Amino acid sequence: MDFLVSSFAAALRLIGSLSPDVVDAVRTSLSVSAGATLFAALFGIPVGLAVGLSDFRLKGFAVTALNTLMAVPTVVVGLLVYGFLSRQGPLGALGLLFSPTAIVIGGTLLASPIVANYTLASVRGADARILPTALTLGAGPFRAVTTLVGEIRFGVFAAVIAGFGRVVAEVGVAMMLGGNIRGYTRTMTTAIALETSKGEFSFGMALGIVLMTVALIVNLFLSLLQRR
Amino acid sequence: MTELYRLRSVTKRYGANVAVDIGELTIAAGRLYTLTGANGAGKSTLLGILAFLLPPTTGEIFYAGERIDWKSAIVGRRRRQVTLLHQSPYLFGGTVFRNVGYGLSARGSAGESADRAVDRALAAVGLDRFRDRDARELSGGEAQRVAMARALVLKPEVLLLDEPLANIDRETAGLLETVIASLPAQGTTVVMTTHEPDRSSRLNGGSIVLEGGKVAHADL
Repeated sequence: MDFLVSSFAAALRLIGSLSPDVVDAVRTSLSVSAGATLFAALFGIPVGLAVGLSDFRLKGFAVTALNTLMAVPTVVVGLLVYGFLSRQGPLGALGLLFSPTAIVIGGTLLASPIVANYTLASVRGADARILPTALTLGAGPFRAVTTLVGEIRFGVFAAVIAGFGRVVAEVGVAMMLGGNIRGYTRTMTTAIALETSKGEFSFGMALGIVLMTVALIVNLFLSLLQRR
Repeated sequence: MTELYRLRSVTKRYGANVAVDIGELTIAAGRLYTLTGANGAGKSTLLGILAFLLPPTTGEIFYAGERIDWKSAIVGRRRRQVTLLHQSPYLFGGTVFRNVGYGLSARGSAGESADRAVDRALAAVGLDRFRDRDARELSGGEAQRVAMARALVLKPEVLLLDEPLANIDRETAGLLETVIASLPAQGTTVVMTTHEPDRSSRLNGGSIVLEGGKVAHADL
């Protein structure tokens, strides 16, 4: 028990002293997660809207596929993107492997199905009168859809936040595609894995506290939005 | 009398259920019609078709002599001349002013003249002091009046009203009925569903009776 208490105290000291390694990991985590979430939103929101608002023959399959993609293990996504970005891969010449960009690509693939599914759920739960009302008042199809998005904005925000939560907490993609390079691609999760394995438990705990705080803030915000 | 709508062999099916099956129906411009029929007779479906929101399964619709091609831009253009007011209208989030100005904004109309038009429409339904109220905090009758103002501000060629006087108090119903009755004189064609057969004669209008999706009687 003393070990845990002393480690916790040391972790708080590390956070309080703004240890450069802690700050770097936090900054990298937040920036790649924000980047991946942005791209996931740009891709996932339109996909969720398109599947939710249109009728097509393979709609049931598309919904099942989106649900399945939400559950894909992060290491599988890491493996797939690694195959593309590795030197022998089709995109190897870009030299992106073991860079923050590679983590953003992997994170985008992880978060997009979540954003799309949450958006789809919001569209399905939306009042069925919104689109006909907008159309009969003279809105064109695009304006009508943007009106719908405005009406379900809290659900769409929740989708984006859930995507961020997925990316910031994952370790497989960041480890495989970022390479855990100190001060460059080392994120909170990869740093925790590495430092703990090296016996630097208090360092791992410090990052764990920050990560939990981020996760708490994200989930509080998500709960707040879901209540609206 | 100028013919505005002509429906020929129009049907609307939902799976095996035939909601509307109309052989021939014409609606003249600048008149008021009541549309009556039992629940499930196809009144709301017919209004949806007339509003160009529901494409019929079969048949042809002519509007002002033009055949409606549901896959072309004609539908969008014609839809802007017709406004449907639902029985239980949806009000967008935000203020009453934003709701009433929505259609004008969708048409690219903004500025002081648009603002004045919104204020006039609100005054016409007795809600001039509700301009900045949150639309979601209104009572059912107030919401119905906001929706009416939202439609009136557009000065549509056709106003389609789905049970506009149901579920509201007598005073509000009287006010809205007066507003509705004045519309044909301003050139607006009105088709309103109602469960009160005598409303047609009271409003000096034509009547269409639907039974099982078919026109059982039409006094045009």
